[in-house]
Amino acid sequence: MENNKIIQIEGLCKSFGDVRAVRDLSFSVGEGEFFAFLGENGAGKSTTIHILCGQLPKDCGRVVIDGVDLDKDPFAIKEKLGVVFQSSVLDAPLSVYDNLASRAALYGICGEEFRKRLSELSAMLDLGDLLKRRVGKLSGGQRRRIDIARALLHRPKILILDEPTTGLDPKTRKLLWGVIDGLRKTEKTTVFLTTHYMEEAAEADHVVILDNGSLIAEGSPLELKNAYTGDFITLYGVDEEGVRSLGIPYEPTSGGYRLAVENTAAATELIVANPEIFRDYEIIKGKMDDVFLSATGKTLKGDDA
Amino acid sequence: MITTVALIKRNVKLFFRDKGMFFTALITPAILLVLYATFLGNVYEDSFRLGLGGAEISDELMGACVGGQLISSILAVSCVTVAFCSNMLMVQDKANGSRRDLMISPVKASTLSIAYYAATLICTLLICFVATAICLGYLAVIGWYLSVGDVLWLLLDVLLLAMFGTALSSVINFFLSTQGQIAAVGSVVSSGYGFLCGAYMPISQFGEGLQRVISFLPGTYGTSLLRNHALRGALSEMESQGIPSEAVEEMRDAIDCNLYFFDIKVDLRVMLAVLASTVVLLLCVYIFLNLRKMKKIGR
Repeated sequence: MENNKIIQIEGLCKSFGDVRAVRDLSFSVGEGEFFAFLGENGAGKSTTIHILCGQLPKDCGRVVIDGVDLDKDPFAIKEKLGVVFQSSVLDAPLSVYDNLASRAALYGICGEEFRKRLSELSAMLDLGDLLKRRVGKLSGGQRRRIDIARALLHRPKILILDEPTTGLDPKTRKLLWGVIDGLRKTEKTTVFLTTHYMEEAAEADHVVILDNGSLIAEGSPLELKNAYTGDFITLYGVDEEGVRSLGIPYEPTSGGYRLAVENTAAATELIVANPEIFRDYEIIKGKMDDVFLSATGKTLKGDDA
Repeated sequence: MITTVALIKRNVKLFFRDKGMFFTALITPAILLVLYATFLGNVYEDSFRLGLGGAEISDELMGACVGGQLISSILAVSCVTVAFCSNMLMVQDKANGSRRDLMISPVKASTLSIAYYAATLICTLLICFVATAICLGYLAVIGWYLSVGDVLWLLLDVLLLAMFGTALSSVINFFLSTQGQIAAVGSVVSSGYGFLCGAYMPISQFGEGLQRVISFLPGTYGTSLLRNHALRGALSEMESQGIPSEAVEEMRDAIDCNLYFFDIKVDLRVMLAVLASTVVLLLCVYIFLNLRKMKKIGR
């Protein structure tokens, strides 16, 4: 176990009958890191998370979290994890306060200790007016804030977010990411994210892409972009004849043309060689969508089961 | 302990806040009340008078007999159907994902199981003891012949039957995991248990083969215990008013105060022992099922 690795997974396997959901999966997550776990539906993300959380037995492999082997002390690991599920799993007929009180008691937090933590979370997530309301009567965004409060009740070292922003409006999404960024800065919480929003994954420190239960790509977003996509130059104020004369693939965009080049160096070379054409332009890296498409041959959309 | 108490509080609150579960639990007792109010009460009264061979008894004493029959039936089914409905929370938690949220914490599966059992028992007892109080109030109005001992026995019967209903529902619900299964089991229990335990209709009126089959079902003895304790005072009063003991004994047979296991009359103490042993046996099965599951998932 490396000192700065808070999650280490080695040779993880899990099958359901003939279906091999996770195949010899190995990766690690650094302490305090923002980690994104990507894959299309059925790629094995949820299965891996269920194994990490001790909700599903693995067939083989080793999982070590914060120095604790999952096989040796699963209860100690549960103390270190906070999970925000894809959909809210709190008790709809009960008030927010009752929900949080009953969940805090699962970690032995009650009385004054609970009230103090609730006050901290209320300030962090702006829960003040919601505490007396029934969870079933809250909007999707309000419910998501309660889900995050529930996950943070016991100050976990690792926060697992399983598609946390799916279906949320931009304002609530921004609020949630503000809270999560704050947590990373103030409490050094490690964030383990699965998402279908590639712009969220682009903010990660480290990304792992799964396909059919196997790891097919990993690295920082920049490394992945460099490895799996080229750069794009958007060229303005020229006619199509001039663009065609460059002899490289292009497509029309709003007000100009988008050229695909291998990398930034190739872009620079092309611009220097054709100054009469490149008078108004911008160079951008490929997006995480392009990385995902290039690595898996599939686009990422829909909800994971 | 903090965790167990918190989970019990959560489960009890959820039962009483979830109007669907709460009112479903009261359907069977409500059906019984409607049946008695519309025709069963009159049927029993006519049948009792016929059985007494024209002997004159007061309306109050007749009311105590018919009322005793009614309240014992209501309490017999309530203890089991309320327990089943309350314990549906165990299945609902699996169906709506709450169970995953609970299991993500360092709580033991055994703690969850204990909390479900205890919360179900508390909900069932709360409702059934309130129902018992209302039933006794009803008897006080139409004809009271119970002693303090009878009332205490009735309360013990309710306690035992509630424990039986809770243990039985815990074992059955253990295997359920979807809303469809909840609805199916809820419907079968609500509609079927009243017949099987002799609440809607005395077992003595069933065919001989069916009577023998039903004599193997422990819930039947719970109904009979309630009948005996709810009607003891009224039937004794009949004897003291000169009604022949043979006629009263026939009445006991007709309304299931006397139960027969292959023609052998079952003593009240044996009925108690059967019910208590069944509770212990079901609890052992519930514990075994939980231990097996915990071993399987390594918790």
